[in-house]
Amino acid sequence: MTTVAPTIETEPASADSNWLAWLDRWCERVGDAINPILVKETRQSLKSRQFVVTFSMILFAALAWTIAGSLSLMPQIYTTPSAPRMMIGYYAVLALPMMMVVPLAAYRSLESEIDDGTLELLSITTLSPWQIVMGKLASASLQMLLYFVTLFPCLAYAYSLRGVDLPTTLLVVASLAVTGLLLTVIGLFFAPLARGRSGRVATMLVLIFLLVLAEYGISSMVVGMILYGNPLSPPELLFTVLATLALAAALGHLLLTATAAQLTPETENRSTSLRLSLLVLTTICVATMVAGLLVLGNRAIPVYIGGLVVIAGLWTFCGALMVGERSTITPRIRRELPSSFLARLFLTWLTPGPTTGLVFAITGITILASMQYASMDWVMRAADVSGAMRRQFQRVVGLPAVLFSAYLICFLVAVRAVMFVVRLRNNPRVEVGVAALVVVAVMAALVPYSMQLHYNDYQPLTYDPIWQVTNWVFTMGTAVDRGLPAGVTERIVGAAVCLSLLSCFAAWQTTRPRRIATPRRVQEELRRR
Amino acid sequence: MNDIQQDSGGQDSGTEGTAAMQPDAPIASTATAGDTASDQTAPPGDASESRREPTVGVHSDPSDCIELRRLHRFFGDTRAVNDVTFSVGRGQVFGYIGPNGAGKTTSMRILATLDLPSYGDAFVDGFSVVNDPELVRKRLGFMPDSFGTYRDVNCREYLDFFARAYGLVGRQRTRRLQWVLDFTGTSGMATKPIRGLSKGMKQRLCLGRALVHDPAVMILDEPAAGLDPRARIELRRMIRELADRGKTILISSHILTELAEMCDAVGIIEQGQLLATGSVDQIQSDTQNRSELTLRILNRHDEILTCLSGLDENLTIDNPILDGQFVRFGFSGNMTDQAAIVTHFVTQGFHVAEVNAHKKSLEDLFLQVTEGLVQ
Repeated sequence: MTTVAPTIETEPASADSNWLAWLDRWCERVGDAINPILVKETRQSLKSRQFVVTFSMILFAALAWTIAGSLSLMPQIYTTPSAPRMMIGYYAVLALPMMMVVPLAAYRSLESEIDDGTLELLSITTLSPWQIVMGKLASASLQMLLYFVTLFPCLAYAYSLRGVDLPTTLLVVASLAVTGLLLTVIGLFFAPLARGRSGRVATMLVLIFLLVLAEYGISSMVVGMILYGNPLSPPELLFTVLATLALAAALGHLLLTATAAQLTPETENRSTSLRLSLLVLTTICVATMVAGLLVLGNRAIPVYIGGLVVIAGLWTFCGALMVGERSTITPRIRRELPSSFLARLFLTWLTPGPTTGLVFAITGITILASMQYASMDWVMRAADVSGAMRRQFQRVVGLPAVLFSAYLICFLVAVRAVMFVVRLRNNPRVEVGVAALVVVAVMAALVPYSMQLHYNDYQPLTYDPIWQVTNWVFTMGTAVDRGLPAGVTERIVGAAVCLSLLSCFAAWQTTRPRRIATPRRVQEELRRR
Repeated sequence: MNDIQQDSGGQDSGTEGTAAMQPDAPIASTATAGDTASDQTAPPGDASESRREPTVGVHSDPSDCIELRRLHRFFGDTRAVNDVTFSVGRGQVFGYIGPNGAGKTTSMRILATLDLPSYGDAFVDGFSVVNDPELVRKRLGFMPDSFGTYRDVNCREYLDFFARAYGLVGRQRTRRLQWVLDFTGTSGMATKPIRGLSKGMKQRLCLGRALVHDPAVMILDEPAAGLDPRARIELRRMIRELADRGKTILISSHILTELAEMCDAVGIIEQGQLLATGSVDQIQSDTQNRSELTLRILNRHDEILTCLSGLDENLTIDNPILDGQFVRFGFSGNMTDQAAIVTHFVTQGFHVAEVNAHKKSLEDLFLQVTEGLVQ
């Protein structure tokens, strides 16, 4: 009797199962490649009550508006273009989650990581602070995408009712997406700022205020565009879209870098990327403002002046932070210092430290002021503007800009001196530094205000004194407009030039710290990663 | 024209061009210590030392897996950690003990790269926590005394997330996750949400999280706090098993009897200062040489104390307590002196039936070492 070994019948793998296995492997590989925070947050979000409630409410609101809106438009809906009304309704349904819920959820997500102590567990993994922040942003973007996809059929339905063209519809969606993303970035930026219970409440309130303000402003613009059509010609529209995208990307990058820097230990280099990001943002700002003058003509002048005020404020704030940095250069940073003579000459100003920060700020302000002055002159020559008109524009915009730049340099030197004194004590409390900065800022605002009053025989001011006192650009603009006595501008610019030269001379020593070698074992480890 | 200064921040003896390793050099003079401190201030009294030329920051002994080198951490005027130096050999279990607020958690957080020293440095597997924290993190598993969890996440997802965060991919991650779930005994609750877990299960999960990337060094801060006896025994078993697998473990706990069973060496810290370090026996021999003895004497009970007072004055007998047939007293001396005491009683005609020498427990040692500083 022979025994036959049992054989296991195996079915040949079908084409379907092969395909599914391949898809499964591919999905797993993609899952491994993407940011772990995105995977975790997605899993969490899809199970969270907040997502379920928001998603259900969107669905319900969209359905309700589809029925109610369509019924209210009956019977004209068959004969007349009815898209604007329906589109506004869908926009309102979509704007709330994208511009309020998602940014707030992103803020809460990062803030609760800090509050619950899970950020500490995360920060001892191999994830970098930048990956953590980007993971949160990616997760918020995914939520937005989901909400948008949910409402896409409704938008398509509204478009089919005629009355809103395709470019306008695309603009509506794009403005919603860009604003939503930027507000999410702002929400993330605010999260690490919150310290303590009262700090968290204050930060949350400020953020909510900003979100409401943004929603109101953007929604007004979008609703106007839907109702009255797009007022821009195709080249103007293209410029506006490109400029908005460039500015939003640059601002978003700066805020994300600042958020990641807040999560980075102080031994690491947190300054270089911030300085570069700031420089890129302001360069894009100036380029956009100049291009705006070329494309939009006189209509861009208010935007141009507004842009100047924003740049001035940004450099005042960021410059004060740069010159208030610690003067310590840790061995970790010294490993990355520029090593060649030329690199040391040109790139030292990007390395952390108050002295390098001051020189960087002075250089940046000078370059930006020169760029602005030269480009404006070039634009007016290209537009064949008359000499009198050019002189008028230079007097109204150019001179205050130069004056402000000079004054800002003096202000930063004063901040540097104050912070030097504050830091003489090894561990000054943060509050002491902030109080010192506030005193300097108030003094710096009072000086041009006093000068303005003095040169105008203490005449009462014609506009809000609070706004004037706190805004140097405005004060200086008004002072120039009313006519400063001869020599005042020259004296301020001269003082700035002297202080700049002194700062550069004093900063020469900062080029002395030499790069140190990275230990071979560390290099090997880093190569292996 | 490259101009790179060699060393001063390195910690590898093999660094090309660096100065030779100087194991005998004063540890306070390391550049890693002086330059990397978060506020760059030398501790009071150490100004001259901080100005010395740097040496290569590397373990004095390559077998050391953890090293704290003149570690200081100040919070304002409070010296949470004040000049702590010790090292833990590869594969050792080191118990870090001290009263609340002694500086244990602060030192552990610095080792885990969660905080920066005000002065000094710490090394894990030869890498500085200040200069190369990302390399330290790859080698380190940290279990804090309290830890947060995520909402709407189950145990498997939680561990999976951290495995991804440590860079584990594909089957390697799946296998590791399964091992961790089995090792910590959490397989049965892999799909349960974390928020509903008991304290003991959460501790297991946290241990699992610390183990998920298979680190060489584990830092466990009060892992047994708040656990019931069974869970404590389980945790002790797991820690012992990890030590047997070659992990270097730094553990802090208030349950000294458990530490005594688990640890190869202990460090006693109080008010930020390391008071004693070494094995329990070593500390005992290093500290005051006091012993306790109990004798059971069957006759002449009323003469026992008189006989004790007749002993050699060098033995400094103290606190004699007579309890029926038993007499208990402390004395300063070694085993020879102990034999001399027993011989003295026997030659005086006492019937000595039992002799019990009390070996000091870790608790006794802790109280002895921290005496006068506690409270």
